[in-house]
Amino acid sequence: MAHCGGTNGSKLFTMVLYMAAACGAIPISDLLDRASQRSDKLHSLSTTLTQDLDSHFPPIGRVIMPRPSMCHTSSLQTPNDKEQALQVSESDLLSLVRSLLQAWEDPLVVLSTSANTLPHPAQSIISNKIQELQEHSKSLGDGLVVLSGKMAPGAQTISSLPYFGGNDIGQDRISKLINFNFLLSCFRRDSHKIDSFLKILRCRAAKMLPEMC
Amino acid sequence: MMRKVILLLLLLCFTAHTRGKLHSPPAKPGLTSCRSPEKETFTCWWKPGSDGGLPTTHALYYRKESSETVYECPDYHTAGENSCFFNKNDTSIWVNYNITVVATNALGRAFSDPVEIDVVYIVKPNPPEKVTVTVMEDKGWPFLRVSWEPPHKADTRSGWITLIYELRVKLEEEIDWEMHLAGQQKMFNIFSLRSGGKYLVEVRCKPDHGFWSEWSSTSYIKVPDYFHREKSTWILITVFSTFTFLILMWLLHMNRHNLKHCILPPVPGPKIKGFDKQLLKNGKSNQIFSALVVPDFPPATSSNYEDFQVEYLEVYVRREQELVLEESKDLHNSCLKSESSTSDCDSGRGSCDSHTLLMAKCREAKEGERQTDRECSPMRTEAQRRLKDWEEEALNYAHAGIVSLEMSSGRVKTWPSVFSPLPRYSSSPLDQQSSLQMAKQLSLSTSSYLTQPGHSTKEALGQSYWDLCLSSKQPHLLNPPTPVCRELQAHSDVNISSIGHKRAPAGPRSPALHTTEYVEVQRVDNKDTLLLQPVVQGCGRMGGCFQMPHGEVYSKVKGVDSDNVLLLQREGMGEDRCPCVEQETNEVTGSCHKSCTVSTTQKPSGCIYTAVPVRDEMATMANGYVDTATMCTLHTC
Repeated sequence: MAHCGGTNGSKLFTMVLYMAAACGAIPISDLLDRASQRSDKLHSLSTTLTQDLDSHFPPIGRVIMPRPSMCHTSSLQTPNDKEQALQVSESDLLSLVRSLLQAWEDPLVVLSTSANTLPHPAQSIISNKIQELQEHSKSLGDGLVVLSGKMAPGAQTISSLPYFGGNDIGQDRISKLINFNFLLSCFRRDSHKIDSFLKILRCRAAKMLPEMC
Repeated sequence: MMRKVILLLLLLCFTAHTRGKLHSPPAKPGLTSCRSPEKETFTCWWKPGSDGGLPTTHALYYRKESSETVYECPDYHTAGENSCFFNKNDTSIWVNYNITVVATNALGRAFSDPVEIDVVYIVKPNPPEKVTVTVMEDKGWPFLRVSWEPPHKADTRSGWITLIYELRVKLEEEIDWEMHLAGQQKMFNIFSLRSGGKYLVEVRCKPDHGFWSEWSSTSYIKVPDYFHREKSTWILITVFSTFTFLILMWLLHMNRHNLKHCILPPVPGPKIKGFDKQLLKNGKSNQIFSALVVPDFPPATSSNYEDFQVEYLEVYVRREQELVLEESKDLHNSCLKSESSTSDCDSGRGSCDSHTLLMAKCREAKEGERQTDRECSPMRTEAQRRLKDWEEEALNYAHAGIVSLEMSSGRVKTWPSVFSPLPRYSSSPLDQQSSLQMAKQLSLSTSSYLTQPGHSTKEALGQSYWDLCLSSKQPHLLNPPTPVCRELQAHSDVNISSIGHKRAPAGPRSPALHTTEYVEVQRVDNKDTLLLQPVVQGCGRMGGCFQMPHGEVYSKVKGVDSDNVLLLQREGMGEDRCPCVEQETNEVTGSCHKSCTVSTTQKPSGCIYTAVPVRDEMATMANGYVDTATMCTLHTC
């Protein structure tokens, strides 16, 4: 599991990846292994964040919650089941991963800024975790750049998924919380996708090591 | 009438009650859980409410997130009662399902609360399968190897699901399990087993972001006995310790006597001389105590008593001096007695042989002198003079010929013949020997008075000391009391006042005989008084320096010429340090000093001393020793 957090770990990861890219010494399976570890950490963080948020969520019911289909990344076509997922090529999978990750660069900033003023009892914890999320996301993105260089050119394609939500997540307390929750749920799902795709890629690359998969 | 109405009412109520009980719309059901074992299918279970007494049916309706189409559960039976199974075709991941259960009966329907689920978040795999536990050996020590396989439905090969495993072990009779996290591996080793124990092993798994599975079925394994292996170690230890024990016992046995002495020391028996243990056991008390009486204890007063007595100074001196001497005798006594214990064998003592020799000779001289006792006045004056002379001579180290009994260190001199025993002051029982001793005492006393304190260090400034070599039988003569000497000194006409106050600070100190001070004969004045001055060396602590010119101040009697002049030979050795701090009295001294400094650099210079004509009583000893009491020497260079 990805245990080294913070910029040090990401720097090291990036450096290793770049070195691997330069020397070609580190096999892709190792790179994918490390990438999947980082994505695993990313998703775990988002899950705990959701739990922290739900611990003191006002009982408003889910009716007025925005639908997940309204996530800004929903336009990206991703496989919906296992068969579909296993049919996607590695480079496409990596492209999907990179696109998703790229799509969350800006919204994470929004989340971070709004977390500072979130009207929630666990606001500080949430704020710290958002910070961690940002760092992990950044390091994973850097690593994926190196990975994509080792794969087919299709991996370099990144779909643009702009975020139109703006910096404002709401005026009153309820809407702030609701929007924050919604945004976080979208991120949680997308981080799960990233994690799953990378793990699929990892097992595909580790054909020599059946124990891994 | 009233009773009838009441009965009718009761009947109506009862009927109504029974009717209500039997028929009512169903209560609201509730979805308990939805689970997906492999992220490909999932099942939902609900719990129905009360059915209202009528047959109630339940239906599950769901809606996917992106569409409004409501679908009903495709499979109510696969997963059992009150469940809905969604197969692979109906399962979409990363899609929110909105599920509702409806209970329907004849009277109405009830809707459950809707539940939003995403399949990827509800994964709970089946337990691991094919758990095998085997006992293996690692260098003689057994361990358990547990291996398993993932649940067959979970597709870990493609990486669709990533599972991590956990197993737990316990002994059959124990309660608590020992947990081990195995990660993604499918095999695990358990060490530290109890031999002959029966173990239970269970394994479970969990997806990377999901729920733990149930524990697998228990596997039983019995660890074989490896008791014999442990036993061999114990046998070795036992044998070794037995050997060690035997050796220790043997050693103890060999040394049992020493040990016995060590632990139980023998009780010391009485060591009283003449004490007879047997007598004690058998005899009477009278006999015992009479046996204790030692014939020669306490020592009876005998002729040896004199040895312990004070010896009187047999010196004929002037009246004042006599008085002083008388007073000093007591002090002498005390001093002598105090010294009796000191046996000073410090270096410089020289041999004691000469002492006896000298004593014998002196005795002869004294006898001769005694005969002339009756000639009081000349004797007196002579004795007086002698005393003075002697005092001066005492200060004058080594110029007197007789004193040049140069011992090995060249420092021991005895002046046995300085004093002529005077009848007045000699107690009759005192023999000449004791008088001699007294003389020695006095000389010693003065010398010690002169001695520099702190002679303990050889390199004391004045190595001037005289050591009277006394035999051990007169140890009391060694340290004459200083106050006596001081008094003597003070009352003498000798110009040694300077020396006197050198002495004064040194007075209260315990006189050490070892430091001697050299004095030079300054001159002899017209009264036939020998003027002495100390030999000074450099700077002294008491204003007077006492040097230690080794050979310089020593002088040997060269001879006596026809005019009864004692010729002394001065042997100059070592560095030339000229003494003479005392300037006050004689110009001759000054000149003498100068001459001293000039001359005598490591060559024996023979100085001829012109001596004042002395009395005819001067007798030269056969062996060349001269009784300087009867003469005085003038030191000239």
